[in-house]
Amino acid sequence: MKVALTGNPNSGKTTLFNGITGKIEHVGNWAGVTVDKKEGDIKKSLNNTNTDITVVDLPGAYSMSPFTSEESVTSEFVKNEKPDVIINILDATNLSRSLFFTTQLLELGIPVVVALNKSDLNKKKKTVINIPELSKELGCPVVETIATQGSNNGLKKIVSTVVEVSGSTQKAPFKIDCGDMTDRNSVEASDKKRFKLVKRIVHKVEDKKINSSSQTRQDAVDRVVANKWLGIPIFAMIMWVVFSISQTHLGPLLADTFVGWIDLLYGFVEGLLGENVSPVLSSILLDGIIGGVGAVVGFLPLIMVLFFLLALLEDCGYMARVAVVMDRFFKKVGLSGKSIIPMVIGTGCAIPGIMATRTIKNERQRRTTAMLTPFMPCGAKLPVIALFAGIFFDDASWVGTTMYFLGIAIIIFGALIVVRITGEKNTRSFFIMELPEYRFPSIKRATISMLARAKAFIIKASTIILLCNAAVQIMQTFNWSFEVVAEGAQDTSILASIASPFAFLLIPLGFGVWQLAAASITGFIAKENVVGTLAVVYSITNFIDTEELTLVSGGDSVAKVMGLTSVAALAYLTFNLFTPPCFAAIGAMNSEMENKKWLWSGIAFQFSMGYIVAFVIYQVGTLITTDATGTGFLPGLIVVVGIISYVVHLVRKGNQKQEQKIELDA
Amino acid sequence: MTNVIVILVILVIIASAIGKIIIEKRKGAKCVGCPYSQSKDSNCSCKH
Repeated sequence: MKVALTGNPNSGKTTLFNGITGKIEHVGNWAGVTVDKKEGDIKKSLNNTNTDITVVDLPGAYSMSPFTSEESVTSEFVKNEKPDVIINILDATNLSRSLFFTTQLLELGIPVVVALNKSDLNKKKKTVINIPELSKELGCPVVETIATQGSNNGLKKIVSTVVEVSGSTQKAPFKIDCGDMTDRNSVEASDKKRFKLVKRIVHKVEDKKINSSSQTRQDAVDRVVANKWLGIPIFAMIMWVVFSISQTHLGPLLADTFVGWIDLLYGFVEGLLGENVSPVLSSILLDGIIGGVGAVVGFLPLIMVLFFLLALLEDCGYMARVAVVMDRFFKKVGLSGKSIIPMVIGTGCAIPGIMATRTIKNERQRRTTAMLTPFMPCGAKLPVIALFAGIFFDDASWVGTTMYFLGIAIIIFGALIVVRITGEKNTRSFFIMELPEYRFPSIKRATISMLARAKAFIIKASTIILLCNAAVQIMQTFNWSFEVVAEGAQDTSILASIASPFAFLLIPLGFGVWQLAAASITGFIAKENVVGTLAVVYSITNFIDTEELTLVSGGDSVAKVMGLTSVAALAYLTFNLFTPPCFAAIGAMNSEMENKKWLWSGIAFQFSMGYIVAFVIYQVGTLITTDATGTGFLPGLIVVVGIISYVVHLVRKGNQKQEQKIELDA
Repeated sequence: MTNVIVILVILVIIASAIGKIIIEKRKGAKCVGCPYSQSKDSNCSCKH
């Protein structure tokens, strides 16, 4: 049996889906988190029948006539795949808005079970919904649910009701003629009739004690948190606290135990190998595989704490306010506030972030957002940030916070350039987002989210990163004649010969050595590889000091081995963060942009941006700290001026295009 | 003999890693391990 989960955005579909299937799909306390359908089987503990019930979680939709592509996933699935039963999740706190879609679903003939979700919030607001009356009005069963609750949540009842109604034919106790769906006036007339019907039903079944137009405490908080002047400083402060806890205080504390285990494993395997094993094999296993992977995995506790805190922020409803705060800036550069949703999702992993751009209807805005989303530092970049903050900046929390805000600044600047180049008139966009109510964040949900991220991190470390580190170790051990390179002569290795030409290009950025170039190149496979490769090429098996409880052991000595100044280190960090993302994310950009010109332009833009930012940081920083420009200033300047000149040329062409359009319109 | 065992261990580790990547890719994961990037339907009707 196939059951479809449908409902308005942020009505709790994915939470209910996770509850009845036991899966851990990403949930967020805001609209637009799910953009694609997800399938799962109902848990045996909830299903008393012998029938296997598959549930399909669909993206939120307000109606069957879709406005965005993720809504079309819902309407097309329901219309074409004909599920056996539809569970329609209604937000009990917003009945009038939710019922519009319900009335459309009831007309399809497929049995519908209504899940009146968030009923606990209604009780708090002293709003009473007459469930038998609602069921009678809709002509289908209505079950109260609290999907966020572990027990007494109504999920068992929902499943048994689904089984009961399957096989029957749904009859709507009303009929509204949809008319010609291609004719705007006809659709509007039909919608008006439907709204009238919904209004009548709500008036009959709902008893509200609190007037929704009166100002609440939540509104008072929003006036501060989403204020146009205070919003950004508050966001910066919150991010600083998040980085401070995760990378300076709690994170390293937990890392202490964790790194101890990695050290134990390293020592154990080293003891097992003894003296008789070939040094080449020993170094591949110990330094390449265990050391390289261990160096990356050592950052896991820091990342887990960070994701836990971000999940709490998302769950309490704060991230939705960030979208509102950012809307003001995004609108000015031709994006909409909706663009912030993929970017916030992208802080976990750029791929789902890029996939979330399909909620954006405007093609240019969608492609621009897909191109710019990878500038938000994702989870894979966090070990790199943590490593450099630890080695060169004494675990300073400002490093991570600055990287986030630098990412946002680049996004805004990038969007401005794109809108100028494309020559599109910057049409004023309107961003309407339903702000979820603030709620006390769920520790359980944040823990689940954190564990899912941790599992992903471990799987990635033990697959892609492991393979890369082994390959790096092998390429560093042998030369092109497949002879083992002598101790201290790694410059003749395969890895050095591949990375050296790239290193030459990086001289004006302050890090023109093959080891750092090799780490950046492997970073395109997975960004965590930057840390793993640095560990392998510099033979540093452990970046975290377990005794001193500092992030990086002997920060000064590691910095010395790398041969970087603090300014060059910051430039290297920004280069790795703001050049193109990993290949998998580029693949996601390709599928969302659906245009090769946009894809290659996007990649070129990301390379240029990373290069210019790193160049400016290194050269200006060196000038300030040493009163002289850094090495390779002139060639670097020529490259940067060349890039800027080309962009200016494109912008002028775009302006001409826009002027021609205006003339034609006139 | 010890070297042969170490080679075998390294090969098993590498083969397991490659095997896991292949399985994840077949499941539709765009980013190996990431639970939120699995999508078999990325080229489905949801496209514009």
